[in-house]
Amino acid sequence: MLKVRGVETGYGRLKILRGVDLDVPEGSAVALLGGNGTGKSTLLKAISGLLRVWSGEIEFDGKPIHNRKPNEIVKAGLVQVTQGKDSYPGLTVEENLKLGAHSRNDRDKIKADLEQIYEFFPILRERRKQMAGLLSGGQIQMLVIGRGMMAAPKMIMLDEPSAALAPLVVLDIFRQINKIRAELGTTILVVEQNVRMALLLAEYGYVIHDGRIHIEGKASDMIHDENVRNAYLGGTVVETANA
Amino acid sequence: MLVDFLVVGVSIGLVYAIVALGISLIYSGLDIVHFAHGEFVMFGAFFGLVLVNDSGLNYPISIFLAMIFAGLMGVVVERVFYRRLTSKGGGYTVAGMGMIICGFGMAIILQNIAFLIWGAEGHAINVDFGTPMKIGTVNLPKSYLWILCVSVGLMAILHLFLKNTKAGLAIRAVAANKDIAYLMGINVPLMISLIFGLACGLAAVGGVLIGPINYVQVEMGYLILIKGFAAAVVGGFGSLPGAILGGLMVGIFETLGAGYISGSHKDIYAFLLLIAVLVIMPTGLFGQLAKSKA
Ligand SMILES: Nc1ncnc2c1ncn2[C@@H]1O[C@H](COP(=O)(O)OP(=O)(O)OP(=O)(O)O)[C@@H](O)[C@H]1O
Ligand SMILES: [Mg+2]
Repeated sequence: MLKVRGVETGYGRLKILRGVDLDVPEGSAVALLGGNGTGKSTLLKAISGLLRVWSGEIEFDGKPIHNRKPNEIVKAGLVQVTQGKDSYPGLTVEENLKLGAHSRNDRDKIKADLEQIYEFFPILRERRKQMAGLLSGGQIQMLVIGRGMMAAPKMIMLDEPSAALAPLVVLDIFRQINKIRAELGTTILVVEQNVRMALLLAEYGYVIHDGRIHIEGKASDMIHDENVRNAYLGGTVVETANA
Repeated sequence: MLVDFLVVGVSIGLVYAIVALGISLIYSGLDIVHFAHGEFVMFGAFFGLVLVNDSGLNYPISIFLAMIFAGLMGVVVERVFYRRLTSKGGGYTVAGMGMIICGFGMAIILQNIAFLIWGAEGHAINVDFGTPMKIGTVNLPKSYLWILCVSVGLMAILHLFLKNTKAGLAIRAVAANKDIAYLMGINVPLMISLIFGLACGLAAVGGVLIGPINYVQVEMGYLILIKGFAAAVVGGFGSLPGAILGGLMVGIFETLGAGYISGSHKDIYAFLLLIAVLVIMPTGLFGQLAKSKA
C-alpha cells in the first residue's frame, strides 16, 4: 500500500533522512522505531507532504505521492496523526472531529462515522461540546486518533501515540487502535519509542538510526532482539544485524 | 446632544469595527499585518461612488457589488504580490519587515492607481435616504441607520459563517494551525485566499458606508487604516470580538471628544484611547485570544 524508496529530506540545508526504504503492505500494521531525533517524525512529514522530498520516491495505493500537497494526500486516503497531540484547543471536541472529515462530502456517512468514533472513545462523546484544550493528555490522544479516522483513511500514520502518557492509558489507547484495526481494516504505520507496545500491535518493524533504516524484521522476532533495544536506547547498533 | 453623538459614534465605530475585523482576520489567518488595508476601504468607496453616482444602481446592490469587486481585487493582490513573501520558508509564518514594507508599498501603488483613474478631487456618494429620522429633538440622517443595519447584519452573517459552515470551520482551523489544517485535508492556500478576499470585501463595505457622510477621496485610506488599526489593538490584535468592541470604543470616544472637547482634534482621540488601553492592558481587551494563537 505504501512504498518508500530512497527518500532523502531535511530542514533547510540540513539533511536528516539519508535514503530510507520502507514498505507497508495493505491491511498490515508496521512499526517504525528509533531513538530521539533519529528522523521518525521527519519521515512521516515527508510522506504526508508537509516536508518536501529532496530525492527518492513515495508511492501510495499504486500512485506516486511525493511532493504532492498534503490535502491531496489526505484525499487519496493517507492520514497522519502528529506527535504533538496537536488538537485545536480553541475548538470543541466535536468541531475537531468534524475537521477530520473535511476532505469528504458524504454527509450521512460522516455522521455515522462520528457515532462510530464515539463508540470507540465514549469519553469524547461525553465531552463533545467542550473545548479540546480542556481534555487530559490521554483524551487528546484519543481525539487526534479519532479525528484522523474521521477522514475514513485507507491508511493512518500514528506518531508516538504513547508519548507522555501513563502506562495504563497507553494500554487503553493501543487496545482501541487494535479494535479500530480489527473493525475497519485500516492499514497502520505506527511510530513509537515504546518498543513493546508497537511490536505487539504490528506484524513488521523497522528501526531507524541516523536517517537510515538499520534493522527490519518480523515483529515477533524483533521483540526479543538485543539490537532493537540497543537502538531504541540510543546504544551502538551492531552493523551486521542489518537484515 | 448626547443621543446624537452616541448614534454617530456607534455608527462610525461600526465602520471602524468592520475595517478592524478585516485587519484581524488577515492577521490571524496569514500572520501578517496588512498596511494597505485602508486602500481597500478607499477602492470600495470609489466602487460605490461609480456604481451609485454614475451607474445609478441602488445603494444595497452597490454595497454588495463593491464588496465583491474589492474582494476579488484582494485575492489577486495577495496571490500575485504578498504570497511570494509569506510563503518563503515553507509556511505563512510572520514574514516580518519585508511584509510591512510590501504593505506600505502596495498602499502607495493603489493610491496612485486610484489617482490616475479618479483624480484627487473628493466626491460624496449621492444616495437619497429620504427625510431624516427624529429621535427626541434630534434630526438624524438615515445614512446612519444604514450603517447600523448593514454592519450589524454583516457581522452576524460573518459570525454564522465562521461558526456553522464547513468553510468557516476550516478558516478557523487555518488561523489556529496551518500544518494541522493541511493534514485535515484542508486546501490551505485556497483558504488563505478566501480569508484575504473576505477581509478586503469587508473593508470595501466600510468604504461604501461612509461614502455618503464623508468625502470619497484618494487619500482617505490612511486615516481609516489607523483608526481600524487602533480598534484592532484596543480589542486585542487578532481577536474578532475584540475588533468589534475596539471599533465601537474608538468611534464613540472620538465622537464624544469631538463634540464636547474640540472638534478640530477629532483624530487624536483614537490614539489617546489606544495609549490608555495599552497602558492598562498591554495585550488589549481580548488579548488572551490573540496570544494563545502563537
Ligand atoms: N523544524 C525543524 N527544523 C530543523 N530541524 C529539525 C526540525 N524538526 C526536527 N529537526 C531535527 O531533525 C532531526 C530529526 O527529528 P525528528 O523529529 O524527525 O526526530 P524523531 O525521530 O521524530 O524524534 P522524537 O522521537 O524525539 O520525536 C532532529 O535532529 C531534529 O533536531
Ligand atoms: Mg518525532
